[in-house]
Amino acid sequence: MKKTTEQQIDQSARIAVSFFVASAGLWLLAAAFLAYVAAAKLTDPLFLSSFEFFTYGKVKISQANAFVYGWGGNSIFAVSLWIISRLSQSPVRGTPFLLAAGTIWNLAITFGLLGILDGHMLGHELLEMPKDVWPALLISYLVISFLILVVFRSRKKKSTIAPQWFIVAALIWFPCLMMFAWNGLEINPGRGTLTSILSMWFGQNIIWLWLTPVALGCAYYIIPSVLNRPIDKYYLAIFGFWCIAALAPWSVVHHLEGGPVPMWVPAVGTVMSIAMVFPIAVASTNFHSTAFQDISKVWNYLPLRFVVFGTLSYTISSYIGVIFSIPAVAKLTQFSIINEFHFNQRVYGFFSMIIFGVVYHILPQITGREIGSAAKNFHFWTSAFGVFGLLLAYLIGGLTHGVLAQQPSLGWVTVIDSVKPYFLITEFAFVILGFSQLVFVLNVWKVLVPNPFSTIDSTVESKAV
Amino acid sequence: MNNIFKFSGYIFLTLAFAWLAFVVGAKNQYGDLTPSSESLEENGSNIKGEVLYPQSMAGIAQLGAKEYLSLGCVTCHTQQVRSEESGFDVQRGWGKRPSVPRDYILQEDVLIGHNRVGPDLANVGLRDYTNEWLHKHLFMPQMEVEGSICQPSPFLYKVSDEPSEKTIEAISVDNKMIYIEPSIQASRIVAYLQSLEQNYELPEVSFIESDIEADELVETADTQTIDNEPSSLPSWLSEQINSGKEIYMKAAPGGGLCFTCHQPNGQGIAGQFPPLADSDWVLGDKERLIKISIYGLMGEIEVNGVKYNNVMVPPGIPPGSLTDNQIADVLTYIRNDWGNSASSVSAEEVATVRESIKGRAPMQMWTAAELNKKSDSE
Repeated sequence: MKKTTEQQIDQSARIAVSFFVASAGLWLLAAAFLAYVAAAKLTDPLFLSSFEFFTYGKVKISQANAFVYGWGGNSIFAVSLWIISRLSQSPVRGTPFLLAAGTIWNLAITFGLLGILDGHMLGHELLEMPKDVWPALLISYLVISFLILVVFRSRKKKSTIAPQWFIVAALIWFPCLMMFAWNGLEINPGRGTLTSILSMWFGQNIIWLWLTPVALGCAYYIIPSVLNRPIDKYYLAIFGFWCIAALAPWSVVHHLEGGPVPMWVPAVGTVMSIAMVFPIAVASTNFHSTAFQDISKVWNYLPLRFVVFGTLSYTISSYIGVIFSIPAVAKLTQFSIINEFHFNQRVYGFFSMIIFGVVYHILPQITGREIGSAAKNFHFWTSAFGVFGLLLAYLIGGLTHGVLAQQPSLGWVTVIDSVKPYFLITEFAFVILGFSQLVFVLNVWKVLVPNPFSTIDSTVESKAV
Repeated sequence: MNNIFKFSGYIFLTLAFAWLAFVVGAKNQYGDLTPSSESLEENGSNIKGEVLYPQSMAGIAQLGAKEYLSLGCVTCHTQQVRSEESGFDVQRGWGKRPSVPRDYILQEDVLIGHNRVGPDLANVGLRDYTNEWLHKHLFMPQMEVEGSICQPSPFLYKVSDEPSEKTIEAISVDNKMIYIEPSIQASRIVAYLQSLEQNYELPEVSFIESDIEADELVETADTQTIDNEPSSLPSWLSEQINSGKEIYMKAAPGGGLCFTCHQPNGQGIAGQFPPLADSDWVLGDKERLIKISIYGLMGEIEVNGVKYNNVMVPPGIPPGSLTDNQIADVLTYIRNDWGNSASSVSAEEVATVRESIKGRAPMQMWTAAELNKKSDSE
């Protein structure tokens, strides 16, 4: 009986989830391509330099936007739709609206990125897309999240568990952030560096309050349900959740240390960043003391291997992030390419790895087709290797960059010269990651759109009917 | 937690509290800053008749800010000089004082940035760059600054091989000059860069006296302009000098790291590190120089009649690793740059000196007294 309800739910979610996963994959490839171009332009400034729409700044910024909104947004919709409907034991409704809104979301990002490349970029962090696409983004987002929340409202069990808190909260945080930013940046903008504070606050919160909680929610769902054992020390989870909710919005502004803003702004940010050790400790205790009780199963079931890679990466690099927010250290690393380390660690090492795992977990259930394990394995190892190389290069390169930049007598060219080898490593890492993501997208698309030539009987004819 | 409306309310509040502080609170605190005179009357009002700062940019510079933004320059360049507790920005010569909120109140697009792959630009207008230099740098940064990874923007220029009133001499290819004509965008960007300066004091911040002359540093730190001048020296000597200069300036294994103390211009740092330019030690006895280059030097030393007391570890990365050839090159270089002119040093001379002091314990630095005594007695 229970199995049939689950199948019904999967059936109801199939079209919408497939749509979001498929478009997320395409955005991932677009972002991988842009990431490579940006990295290549740093190692060879002359690369593509005669095209005005491919300056380093434009490529870099459109890559971040394609990654966060294209890949991040679509995959957030896919996984939250499925996890929420599974946990609520309630089918997905309004698929046509989901598809329409999803299309608008994707079109808005496409036009936004073209706008950036065409020179209409705005100066707000992770909100560089031209203002004209903001309404489309916000409205399509509201439609999609409303339909997900409808599923949540109609849940069979009244009480809620950790994955639901994290995912629902993330769904609500995004439009709130967007409206705060819209108000403060465009409708009645403050003068001078007031907008810089808000823009920093928005850009970092998109990572901390949108991508991060969804990925944490996924981990809270996948780990216990696959291992079939409860989360260890689950009573701490609620404390961890409210700690993130209460601290993260305050902590993100520590990047303004020493800048032309009132001193209390970065000071508050620093204190709150250090306090973030509590929620990080809670999440990693929950995940790892559960996962390590049955580590062989984690290792053998590939989706879970991805997820645990993501949670480990979250733990390690969040602690590194805390260390780098201490003023004495921040002084060295503040404007260095350590910033790239923080960004890539969050979006690749943590968020993407968990999403890869969840997508591999979902797809066989909603389509009934298995993904080849060799292809999945190849994807895992190339991702793991690429992410590791990328983060290590940015970390060591960032420290070198920061420490040398603090030597007033060193010429700037000398400083950059010593960082160049690390730029070269990141270029290689982006090539590896690009391959790995291509494999991911092929894996996914092969399951979603089966090859018409090999299965002529089942698909083509059924379509014709 | 189980009621979606209550839950959404709490979620919204967590964000709203932080927003209240960072946006509403900050706006109340300094949202109404106005331009001010450099210092204030006792009652806190602006001094009448004095110029008020900051001043708004010229129109063309404001348009330049838009171009700067649209090309994405802010991805690599900050425009903020951090306070003294937070970094050595002032010492590096990126400004005469830390930036404060009031500096930015008249700018429509505030582009303070948060990455420094390129140098900070808050005071780029103070650095004595000519428009021509900036245009050439925008066109092809590698032409002006060797090793730069700044992105060329040739699409902002019209290239021709005929000079005219509007063009700038850019580069010679196969003995033919190439001329570039700046587009309107390029001129706007250059006007914008030239207008970026925080060259005034405000009631809340005053200039910081730096040990190192700021102008001098800026010159050496940001423009290692390529020297294309033909040299009249014999080729073996100029080769030795060039190789020596490379060792002098290199901060990686195999280099000498000399410039960190003696500075790229050979002037040293007053009171701390003696100059090499026009120095009686550098132009004098070669043997002393070679000895210092092998073992380093510590304690009091008098150079050109000025006393210094510091430690010079044996040059090289790792210390003391320079070969005879490298020592010969770098000594020849310092004896023949910055107006110095003295005989060259050969690797054989270095080898002879090294042989004569073979018994000396490694890393045992010389003292000036010890070196002078020996050269006197001989």
